[in-house]
Amino acid sequence: MIQQIIAGLVIVFFLLKLLKQWKKKTISLNEFVFWLLFWIFALLIVIFIKQVDKIVIGLGFSSSAINLAFYIAVLFLFYLIFKMRLKIVKIEKNITDLARKISLKD
Amino acid sequence: MLDFKKINKNKTMKIACVIPAYNEEEKISQTIEQVKNLVDLVVVVDDNSQDRTREVLNKIQEEKIKKIYHPINLGQGAALQTGNEYCLRQNFDIIVHFDADGQFLASDIKKMIEPLIEESYDLVIGSRFMGIESNIPKFKKKIIMPIAKIFNNIFFGIKTSDPQNGFRAMTKEAILKIKIENDRMAHCTEILAKAFKYKLKIKEVPIKVIYHEFGQKFSGGLKIIKDLFLKKISG
Repeated sequence: MIQQIIAGLVIVFFLLKLLKQWKKKTISLNEFVFWLLFWIFALLIVIFIKQVDKIVIGLGFSSSAINLAFYIAVLFLFYLIFKMRLKIVKIEKNITDLARKISLKD
Repeated sequence: MLDFKKINKNKTMKIACVIPAYNEEEKISQTIEQVKNLVDLVVVVDDNSQDRTREVLNKIQEEKIKKIYHPINLGQGAALQTGNEYCLRQNFDIIVHFDADGQFLASDIKKMIEPLIEESYDLVIGSRFMGIESNIPKFKKKIIMPIAKIFNNIFFGIKTSDPQNGFRAMTKEAILKIKIENDRMAHCTEILAKAFKYKLKIKEVPIKVIYHEFGQKFSGGLKIIKDLFLKKISG
């Protein structure tokens, strides 16, 4: 129960940060909606952890719901890193093109 | 000066030499001096050196020497591509890539260019493994280079004796096909991989390389593999 409260508070903290960013207009609508759904989903899992446990066992997984959530989170983070890396490569290319244009203009 | 009119009976070929330079304050003047009488134009691309390279270059005021300065450090591959693009704009027929650190012999330029003019090759690359002895460090010669050779052969279909050699000469047509996209040290593999992909006529000629320092280390080789992989998956 205590763990659930702590996890719930952490998620609420991130939700508040998200709302603050949205108010400051530092993130796009799509990003806001994505992260809002993500944290609400996480909060629901934390609140209904026992029911989710039953569903997970029913689906044939040997681990508990919280473990499964961690596995999924790690996979998701790997995907995010991969996407970010690709984005950096593209930004690097743009920087190179720009720097080359400047140097050839002189 | 080479008599290129004599080499090529049909027309005078315009030849440029691209020298990428990064922190080469000690060697750059000497290298330019050795090369300038063998080509029509020397294009030095200073890759935002942190030493006095720019200062040294600024002192050289000759029409035959074109100096280009990168506003930020981009890497050797990017510097070569900048040089290539300048040469293409100036309508040069042949472009030679030459290191700034005095590793290569300027006297080898003639034999790098000749096959392009006389035998219609598209790309000529220098090789340290065709009879002429270079003072290659042992670890590099026995471990790093054979691994690099196998890697290049398996993953990029490169079948040359010295795939990591930076001394090369290309025709304008080859340069137009091979746009260097790997900004850092993976450009050697990239150039050859594209040359094989586009079925360009490639010739290797023996050259001598003088090692003043170890150069590319094993960790550098791993970085090249990482760069090639990232470039491949990012399209």
